[in-house]
Amino acid sequence: MKALLQKIVAQTGGDTRNGYIELRYHRRQSNSFMAQRGRVDVANHSIVEGVGVRALIDGAWGFAATARVDEASILRAIDQARRNARAILASRGKKESHLQRGKLSVIDWKGPGFDELIAMPIADKLGAVINFERRLAKSSSALHTARCRYNELLEEKVVVTSDGAAASAKIALPEFSMSAIAERDGERSTSSRGAGVSGGWTCLYEHPSLENVVEETARTAVDLLSAKYPEGGKKTVILAPAVVGLLCHEAIGHTVEADFVKSGSVAQGKIGQRVASDLVTMADTGRETIAGYAVGNLPFDDEGVETETTTIIKDGMLVSYLHNRETAAEFGVAPTGNARAWLFNDEPLIRMRNTFLLPGKSSLAEMIAGIDDGYLVEGAGSGQADSNGEFMFGTGYVWRIQNGKKTELLREATLSGIAFDVLQTVDAVSSEFRWDLGTGYCGKGQPAKVDAGGPYIRCKMNVGGRQG
Amino acid sequence: MTDNSITTPVANAGTGEALRKTSAEMESIAREILEHGRKKGADRIKVGISGSITRRLVVENKEITLANSLEDQKFSLVVHKDQKKGSAATNIVRPETARKAVEDALALASFSVADDALNMPDATQAPRAKSLDFMFDERTADTTLSELQELMGQALARATADKRVSIDKFEMSVSASFHGLYNSLGVAQMETQTMLGWSFFGMGVDGDAVSGFDYDSGFAWKTGDTAARLMATADAFAAKVTGNLHPRKAHSYKGLVVFSPRAVEELLAGFMLYHASGSAVMDGKSRWDKETGNAVLSPVITLRDHPHSQAFAGATTFDGDGLPTRDHTIFDSGKLCLHIHDCYSARRCKTTSNAMSGGPFGMAFAPGGALLADLLRSRREILLVDRFSGNTDAIKGDFSGVAKSSRLYVDGKDGGPVTETMIAGNFFEFAKRIEAASLETESIGGGFSSPWLLVDGISVTGG
Repeated sequence: MKALLQKIVAQTGGDTRNGYIELRYHRRQSNSFMAQRGRVDVANHSIVEGVGVRALIDGAWGFAATARVDEASILRAIDQARRNARAILASRGKKESHLQRGKLSVIDWKGPGFDELIAMPIADKLGAVINFERRLAKSSSALHTARCRYNELLEEKVVVTSDGAAASAKIALPEFSMSAIAERDGERSTSSRGAGVSGGWTCLYEHPSLENVVEETARTAVDLLSAKYPEGGKKTVILAPAVVGLLCHEAIGHTVEADFVKSGSVAQGKIGQRVASDLVTMADTGRETIAGYAVGNLPFDDEGVETETTTIIKDGMLVSYLHNRETAAEFGVAPTGNARAWLFNDEPLIRMRNTFLLPGKSSLAEMIAGIDDGYLVEGAGSGQADSNGEFMFGTGYVWRIQNGKKTELLREATLSGIAFDVLQTVDAVSSEFRWDLGTGYCGKGQPAKVDAGGPYIRCKMNVGGRQG
Repeated sequence: MTDNSITTPVANAGTGEALRKTSAEMESIAREILEHGRKKGADRIKVGISGSITRRLVVENKEITLANSLEDQKFSLVVHKDQKKGSAATNIVRPETARKAVEDALALASFSVADDALNMPDATQAPRAKSLDFMFDERTADTTLSELQELMGQALARATADKRVSIDKFEMSVSASFHGLYNSLGVAQMETQTMLGWSFFGMGVDGDAVSGFDYDSGFAWKTGDTAARLMATADAFAAKVTGNLHPRKAHSYKGLVVFSPRAVEELLAGFMLYHASGSAVMDGKSRWDKETGNAVLSPVITLRDHPHSQAFAGATTFDGDGLPTRDHTIFDSGKLCLHIHDCYSARRCKTTSNAMSGGPFGMAFAPGGALLADLLRSRREILLVDRFSGNTDAIKGDFSGVAKSSRLYVDGKDGGPVTETMIAGNFFEFAKRIEAASLETESIGGGFSSPWLLVDGISVTGG
């Protein structure tokens, strides 16, 4: 496929009249299985394939796509993309435009686990889902419902551009999630756990241990049956790595995506300014090396730019936004490899990859000991952020901390705050680190597979709860 | 089996004809898949086909930056073999991929677990649905990028007349599409539609002050109906984002709040539909499994589904099982009238489907008798919740999150937007304490209309 796209680009791309051309082949094979209450509700195999074409002529972008991957169809899609760009020019006129080159990738890369998952019999994967659901269901007599879901994405991508990118990648992204509903005396509680990696079956099985996930899912659902709700208000909280990851992604990450910055997000104009306590250093990376299996790992983005680690906040100071090639040129910086598209017929948008806070020096025990009245917040739920920095995210459950001790399990809570205000209150960061959002998807017009994580941090934020 | 991928570039003129040709070819493929499934031993097989031709323009920062032309077609199938299920889907429409998909689905079914409730309707249960004339318009199918540009230019000027409006993204598209459903028991359904859709996403910026993001969207079945609706959306969006500027913090209290139609859609409707759903009933997750005919909500709540109404973008003539759709009253003056069943949940619950697989399709809450202005005087200080950004637990009924784009009313007067204000509560605790519904109603996006609701028992936590 790479040779075909290179041949086509050589024939048609890169002259003054026709501007820039970018071809992106994407084939996604996915298997989805879900078992609950002894049934198999989902056993699905799907394949989506095609080539997306972007043309940039005098500052106007045209996009077209074809599900047929032969030369004639791709040539027609190129012609259509160029006609679309010219349709904009006809009404708007030319505009100065520039794409920052950065490091354009020419590698051919196969990620860990790709061959393993391709070779693994489908019966084994579906069988594992059925078995885990049965084990979860049997793990406590208080469980009303057990559910187990497996999903894998096997991605094959080729990006060729008229200015030199020519790269291919194969990436395997399997994930498991389990959930349980417990019931006693008419009271119900739920618990969910998940694991997702960039890697194969063995990697997925061990990070974290799926055996432990079964046990924790059941135990938490049952324990929450007798739990109270947290009290609402501004509280001192310790956020667990999954929640820190969600904070990094939702509260900070979105506000520093350069397209949002251009629109006037709260991060606009704040490069070089203090936005967090000096304990906070935060980054987004396409090549994480802390564990090696974060699901946002990708060797190049969908514009063909080699990915790397982008430090966003260094010792509390905002130092970088996240860019595609066009915004990098506008801001006069190097592209950060954040242009991503969900499918071949989606245009690349600025998206995060693996977003995280760097570990510090405290221990979790020390951090708990330093709180008279507060919460330890575990288990990230969904979250959203806003242009003004206001964020919200849900959490699975909460531990009350009183007089330096973890005392009582409480039901889920929703946390909110103004991102940069909250980060200014961070007064402790643990040395322990985890990637913990491997089943996460970001929604920004298109989905994107992302990961996030970090250490434990201690800060102050609003906890949504009940008023008396 | 023919190789029938759309290969021609999107042509403006003759889009409807191109779509009809493709849909006929896809129908032929569907029938060949059914035949291949039978040959391979499937007991039952269902094939879904779809295709679309779409033109789309994107405005970022007040300028058209992207023109997009897409053609899409795909098929999906479900097989039953020995009461076991498997499914497959692909957008690679070739004879060999279609045959392979059948075989993949059968292989999955062979590893699955037998389920006595699996079933499909036959042609007697699911006769050919009558088409809805408003859904397809030849002229709309041929709408050009230039015509979209013209409409967008007018809307952009309208939305940004107030310089404090910052548009992050404004998109508009026109699509002509078809979707069909066929099964091995003789069901054959097909419908085509044209639609223009648009959405605004952005915020208010006034000097250093930045409001939260907000959005608005709309649709029209025909080009001729578009301009007025588009301008109305532009006006509503501009009013929202400028109205969100310079917020203040609210006080904490527990009691009455007013939910806007958007908040009703985002928060309350989800709880109601979950516990009315056949899938929740069959799994013992619904609190209303034995409550049909009984009052489960306040008597001010009546909710109907109108799948054939052109007021709703989700209008359709057949459901996900291929059964012809029809109007339903789901809640009548607080009473639960029915559970929302597809063929599978209906069989499990020993009843019949009400043709709502994938539905409801056009939900409308009935208006009440009170003026909105009077609802906003129900408490000296009352929160008007316009959007809910937070978490819900459908099973328990708990919710907790941020009241976005929301306002505090004092003595019935608009006291301005609020920030960092969270709401929390339990749906079942206030389900019968929905005190009133407004006379005024509003349509949200493309598939929902509702009055404003006055609700008691909500915890409001100020920042």
